[in-house]
Amino acid sequence: METFINQLFAGASLASILLMVALGLAIIYGAMGVINLAHGEFVMLGAYVTWALQTFLGIGLLPALPIVFLAIAAVGWGVERAVVSRLYRRPLDTILATWGIGIVLQQLVRIGIGPESRFIAGPGILSGNTGFGGVVLSNYRIFVLVFAIAIFAATWALMAKTEFGRKLRAVIQNREISECYGIRAEKVYAMTFAYGAGLAGLAGALISPLVNTTPSMGTYLVVDAFLVVVVGGVGSIFGTAVASGIVGETTAFFSMLLNDTVGRIAVLVAIILFIRFRPSGLFPQIVRR
Amino acid sequence: MNRNNRADYLGHIVFILAILLGVPALLGFDGFELNTFARYLSLAIVASALALSWGTAGILNLGQAATFGIGAYVMAMHLKLVASAGNPDGLPDFMGWNNVTSLPWFWLPFQSLTVTLILGLALPALLAWAMGIFMFRARITGVFVAIITLAFLVALQLWFIEEQRFTGGQNGLTGLAPLDLFGWSVDTYSLGFYYLVAGCLIAALVIGSLIVRSKVGLVLRAIREDSQRVRYFGYDVARYETFVFSTSAAIAGWAGMLYALVLEFASPTYIGVAFSLAIVIWVAVGGRESLVGAAVGAILVNLAEGRLSDMFVESWLLILGVMFILFVLFLPRGLYGLLRQGFGRIARLREGQGPKDARAQESAQ
Repeated sequence: METFINQLFAGASLASILLMVALGLAIIYGAMGVINLAHGEFVMLGAYVTWALQTFLGIGLLPALPIVFLAIAAVGWGVERAVVSRLYRRPLDTILATWGIGIVLQQLVRIGIGPESRFIAGPGILSGNTGFGGVVLSNYRIFVLVFAIAIFAATWALMAKTEFGRKLRAVIQNREISECYGIRAEKVYAMTFAYGAGLAGLAGALISPLVNTTPSMGTYLVVDAFLVVVVGGVGSIFGTAVASGIVGETTAFFSMLLNDTVGRIAVLVAIILFIRFRPSGLFPQIVRR
Repeated sequence: MNRNNRADYLGHIVFILAILLGVPALLGFDGFELNTFARYLSLAIVASALALSWGTAGILNLGQAATFGIGAYVMAMHLKLVASAGNPDGLPDFMGWNNVTSLPWFWLPFQSLTVTLILGLALPALLAWAMGIFMFRARITGVFVAIITLAFLVALQLWFIEEQRFTGGQNGLTGLAPLDLFGWSVDTYSLGFYYLVAGCLIAALVIGSLIVRSKVGLVLRAIREDSQRVRYFGYDVARYETFVFSTSAAIAGWAGMLYALVLEFASPTYIGVAFSLAIVIWVAVGGRESLVGAAVGAILVNLAEGRLSDMFVESWLLILGVMFILFVLFLPRGLYGLLRQGFGRIARLREGQGPKDARAQESAQ
């Protein structure tokens, strides 16, 4: 029983990381149909900004979060203006261009900061574990889980309750008509891309104490995160949350049953099968095209 | 259209003459240089294979490295068995280290060269055929094809590394014997080997061009533009897509076999995401619509990498990435598109028309 709960928690912890990485990707993909393969590199940049703030300015992880969010959002805004905004008519080419951006960002970090893995200390207040009977859970992982749910709630509120969200949903449904109502679609797109990138940066900051921070850390994350988005259903952030839960738990389950590599392979194959039979995902969005 | 076709044929002939005569002469028949260039030519084959599915039918296969890698492993398995002939049971050394006591059944067919050569083409083609039926019957297109092929590639590479007992794991297959091609012991640093690879490239280009120029090619281009409409005309879209997808895979497997010969080992990096991306970059640079364009793109980028990466060891990937973004943004048709535009303009000027008149005439036709 205790192993089972531990395993469940390991899955939930993995799911919370996936959710934060995938949420930004889902918003960008849902809003503009752009598959942002540079998303993993935004996560990586987030981790490195956290590292830089901690090492050079002595700012701890928690106070660094808002700075990281703004910094990576600015990077995302720049990328959208310079490259992605020119490619909205060519969806396949956005995959290629963002892939290229990913390589460039990764290589810039490798040259500028170095290829070796960096250490980032977790916040001191959250060190240690909490025990429930025989089950021992790491405080920091619990915090990441709660934070991911909070971010998800905030994103949902942004979409559903604010004027920006209303504009974005209008543009998603019909760009031309919403432009007729005076919404500046390109501005909405740029803000959305920046917000998605900022979320990726936050994800990078939060996972930096848990994983190896290297220039190539994003490559592994982006494939998984993208698969989560597709499984969840394009444009449905609720679907993304459910899908990251499923993928996280399944990966943890297979890893326990078999081993890590076979677990990953099994999940990849399962997801390929899923896309084949339900290409519109768990919660397909109904949009008039 | 005729004028463009003539320019295309001229381009093919120039390219073939260049790799048959120009390159060996320029390299001074130096064995080492010829070997390096033979490597570029084998990569040119896989680039034109991708152009066949991506440029012609619009199927962006981000997992092209998977079929390439399978070809490379098939060839390496044969050469490994030849090299291990002296061992007890003919067992390759790495299997002994991993406590495998007898040769597994799926290694047995690779003792024969003929079977190896056939399987090097057939295995990738069969795999792609199965994937093609799986994807295209369900009318999966565009971005989803890209993602499924990418996920498949990642899974395949993980699997190859995991099954260390049978595949050599992270190290791949090393310590291979030289190929004995029906009595001809292939020296990879010889002019003969260079011509073998060049001949394979030309053969692959001819086969590809025959497909592109046939009626099948026409239907494939129509599918690229609007698959729904082609379906309404009564064509079995999935069958055409599966055909071009598996042909492209067979050619990629062929390239992989040559590549394993040139480098004298097979490694899981051949099945890697980075390598698959590199293939896409070459094709994007050369021009996805033209098989020869893609081949030239592969040769040029690799040539630049060979020459420049000594100077810019660390920033080479950066340069490549920036170049790739610029090509995607401003030259989506690659160098081929640029040349074609240039030739069109020159031809019009020669006929004494201003560019505006020519455009008016074209739209009138």
